[in-house]
Amino acid sequence: MRNGVKSNQSRRGFLKATVLLALGAQFLQACRTKVNHIFLQLTGTNHILGHRLRFPDFPASTEVIEVPILIVGGGIAGLSAAYRLQQKGYSDFILLDLEDEVGGNARNGQNAHSAYPLGAHYLPIPNASNRELLQFLEESGIIKEWTSTGKPIFDEEQLSFAPHERLFIHNVWQEGIVPSYGISDAESAELARFFRQMQDFKKLKGADGKYVFDIPMRNASQTHDRTVLDGQDMLSWLKSQGYHTEALLEYVNYCCRDDYGTGIKCTSAFAGIHYFASRKHDWDDYQDLVLTWQEGNGRLASHLKKYVKGKVLNKNMAFRIDFKAEKVEVSVYDVAKAITKVIKADRIINCCPQFVNQYLLPNRTSITREFHYAPWIVATIVLRRFPFADGVPLSWENIIYKGHGLGYVYDQHQSLKQFNSPFVISYYHSLGDGDLKQNRKQLFAWTDQQWKSFILTDLEKAHYGIEKEIISMEIFRHGHGMISPVKGFLTSQARTELAKSIGDKVYFAHSDLSGISIFEEAFYQGLDAVDQLIADLS
Amino acid sequence: MGKRNNLPIFLLLAVFIIATCGLIYELVAGALASYLLGDSVKQFSFIIGTYLFSMGVGSFLAKYITKNLFDRFIDIELMIGLIGGCSSVVLFLMFQQIEHFQFVLYFFVFLTGCLCGMEIPLLMNILKDRIQFRDLVSNVFAFDYIGALIASVLFPILLIPKLGVMGTSLFFGIINILVGVFLSFYLSKKLKNPIWIKMKSVSCLVLLSIVFFYSDDLLKYSESQLYGNNIIYKHSTPYQRIVLTENRGDYQLFLNNNLQFNTKDEYRYHEVLVHPAMSMAKDISNVLVFGGGDGLAVREILKYPEVKKVTLVDLDEGMTRLFKTNELLVRYNQGSLNDPRVTVINQDAFIWAKSAKDKYDVMIIDFPDPSNYSLGKLFTNSFYQTLAALMTDNTMVSVQTTSPYFAPKSYWCIHETIGSVFPNNIAYHTYVPSFGEWGFCLFSMNMQQRFTQLRRRVDKVRYYNYKFEELTNFPADMRTTEKVEINRLDNQILVRYFDEEWGKI
Repeated sequence: MRNGVKSNQSRRGFLKATVLLALGAQFLQACRTKVNHIFLQLTGTNHILGHRLRFPDFPASTEVIEVPILIVGGGIAGLSAAYRLQQKGYSDFILLDLEDEVGGNARNGQNAHSAYPLGAHYLPIPNASNRELLQFLEESGIIKEWTSTGKPIFDEEQLSFAPHERLFIHNVWQEGIVPSYGISDAESAELARFFRQMQDFKKLKGADGKYVFDIPMRNASQTHDRTVLDGQDMLSWLKSQGYHTEALLEYVNYCCRDDYGTGIKCTSAFAGIHYFASRKHDWDDYQDLVLTWQEGNGRLASHLKKYVKGKVLNKNMAFRIDFKAEKVEVSVYDVAKAITKVIKADRIINCCPQFVNQYLLPNRTSITREFHYAPWIVATIVLRRFPFADGVPLSWENIIYKGHGLGYVYDQHQSLKQFNSPFVISYYHSLGDGDLKQNRKQLFAWTDQQWKSFILTDLEKAHYGIEKEIISMEIFRHGHGMISPVKGFLTSQARTELAKSIGDKVYFAHSDLSGISIFEEAFYQGLDAVDQLIADLS
Repeated sequence: MGKRNNLPIFLLLAVFIIATCGLIYELVAGALASYLLGDSVKQFSFIIGTYLFSMGVGSFLAKYITKNLFDRFIDIELMIGLIGGCSSVVLFLMFQQIEHFQFVLYFFVFLTGCLCGMEIPLLMNILKDRIQFRDLVSNVFAFDYIGALIASVLFPILLIPKLGVMGTSLFFGIINILVGVFLSFYLSKKLKNPIWIKMKSVSCLVLLSIVFFYSDDLLKYSESQLYGNNIIYKHSTPYQRIVLTENRGDYQLFLNNNLQFNTKDEYRYHEVLVHPAMSMAKDISNVLVFGGGDGLAVREILKYPEVKKVTLVDLDEGMTRLFKTNELLVRYNQGSLNDPRVTVINQDAFIWAKSAKDKYDVMIIDFPDPSNYSLGKLFTNSFYQTLAALMTDNTMVSVQTTSPYFAPKSYWCIHETIGSVFPNNIAYHTYVPSFGEWGFCLFSMNMQQRFTQLRRRVDKVRYYNYKFEELTNFPADMRTTEKVEINRLDNQILVRYFDEEWGKI
């Protein structure tokens, strides 16, 4: 017994010592790691105002404005329509936009260290057939001159700088985003076969002599039957072609998520192939290069803004379109003044997405259900430095293989300055895993802390310890980030139906009517609507 | 009662921990050797061999320990913890200091191996009366090998990425010592000299914890030893780490660990960079210098009395301030940056050049080598195009363009890139002992400008003799047969060439 007591005492002493030591170690640890306070901000498109469209309880109108042409919506389609109107000599128009700034998905932000995109961030070298777009690029100083053989010379400061892209795979940053580091022979053989097949699709022409895959979509062959490819999802098509390896499926899935917001399980096979086959790379010098800026496509939007100077009504939301005699009357809610006004126009160019138009015009709700929009987040992260990672250095696009998100863009990459702390990156993520409505709920339900830990978990895979380097994080939410060309959508009646103009009064232009959310589609949507309007006038 | 039953289990757990720690020390030594000495296959193989051999020696020696087994066992525990735990710290620090590093390394490996080798036989001796021999042997070895597996899996996946080599060995040293501490309290009654053992184990624990706590600082210190010479000044600016060292009356300046100049022969470099352009330009009253925050190029420029104005554009204010104020350094640049004719502008060169309005008669471009994509921008055709706006028809420009001997592709790539913008140019080179063969390029917008016409000269030149043609002859080993591409912002091919060529050295 005596022994027992004594041993208990010494055991107690030992336990005490252990506890004290453990506490001491904790304390030392706490002294070593400084708590890093990340400045968090949750922003996004004005969805609260937008949601009022569903239950319109706006005040009675107290102001009337008359204008010959009204553009509703200041995204790239609307701005391009304005550009075309000015080009054709029509300068008497107004443009409405519900946000503080025009630009739509091409808007950008600016902090003390860099400009940064809030959505779209680059424009690939256009196809040679896109004469109007190339002309716009020339007017904007992006194309400097043309060679005697008709080749454009792009301003090198606006082409993406090297190193362009890297992929974090098997714990190493490899160059380029096509998986190559540590993949099996079977995988690389499949990737090579896939790219050969895409080359064939690139050259494929329909009976009318036009490319089957082209940009804008309206230039593509109309005789070729798209229904076979559009009627199946990309994953089924890949499997039917004998593609099974992880590297290939991951890569194609990434590309579909990046361009359409939805992965290969939901994206139509036609759209999936379109990504690889629609860009013709007509000029060897510019193979695979893209035009990009620190502010992303905000640069393109700012060039287009010149054509709407003094004609924009910001924070003005159209909520109803009525036809009265020879005029179209658009009821508009002015957020700043909290009043409703009526704009009487001879003609309107409606550049709103269709999920908005269903509230402005009657009988469109059921058909609009066929339009699927993927929600997105773009997080602007300011950090002191990147934790060490093996492989190629920081590039413009940085993608994590099998990551949750779509990787990040180094925003200061296009700066001519020396790279230096703090670094600004834009992290992209599309929530398109099938049930887009559910995804959208999650987008708005999650708190800033939830989004922060989601993003950090993803980034930590490639940059262990990044959290303590982060200064701030702005998470910009797009409820309807982009139209998703899900199975069957590109060949659906819904798209052509909603694109039809209403008499010679309302013309529609938006990239969702093309089915593919890229700058070129929106640009040509705007141009085409104006061209049709002018044709109807004469 | 319970205590006696538990003892074997605790001791077997100790075996398990000991085995884990033992293997960790071995892996740490292997990793350290391959970091510091290179050739990882050879180093790992030698280390493992030595370690296993010394474990054998340890096992053999264990039979001479016959008395106070518990006391000795704890002693060994503490010694392993201390020696194994501190091994990486000591080796890191000594790497710079001593000539026979390999000897010290293998000595440490032998010592840890030997001590680890003693543990198991000693333990089996302790346990031999408490467990049946059959059980004893299987249990001890089972725990031993499990520990080894866990160590070898954890080491590359978790420990090295999270703790680093130094942290890992210290961490496991602490674990080793904790085993000792635990046993010294737990077996208190069985010990010959319990108080002494307890004191030893706790002080070992405190000691190692302190080293662990400061391991980051130690690492920094050990890295600062890399320069070999006496460090007389260290300073980190937002852009670079400036280190000034002294060796037998000469001074060396390192920027981010790259030698920038050695006072012994820097005059060769700076004279050849500056005087050809200065002696051939039509006018030299307004001179622009890019980079060169050390003021040494400006010192050469100011030797010409016609110079009225010098503008120096250097990104790093920390650097120019140092060379304006530090007495020792001002002696070397002869106060050039404090001269009333000199204006220092701390801005990003590319951005500054795009907005500059003035025209310059001579430009001296002395950027650091294009070792990364950030610096690579300053060697692109876009940058040289930007310069055109700052030049008159008669402006002479000279550029440092890395070594045509060590990096011929890089050298001729810069030359071709300059040629794509300014076709009238000439490559030249000279020998700087601290650097080796070093290359430059001289160019002008004026197609009629020849690079032979000497318009002026000064006497206070030690190396350059104004016979420019002597510097323009390139033997075959400083040329490249491969076709080099033009360095553009969208390909940054120069950084690849540079990495490829200097990476080999």
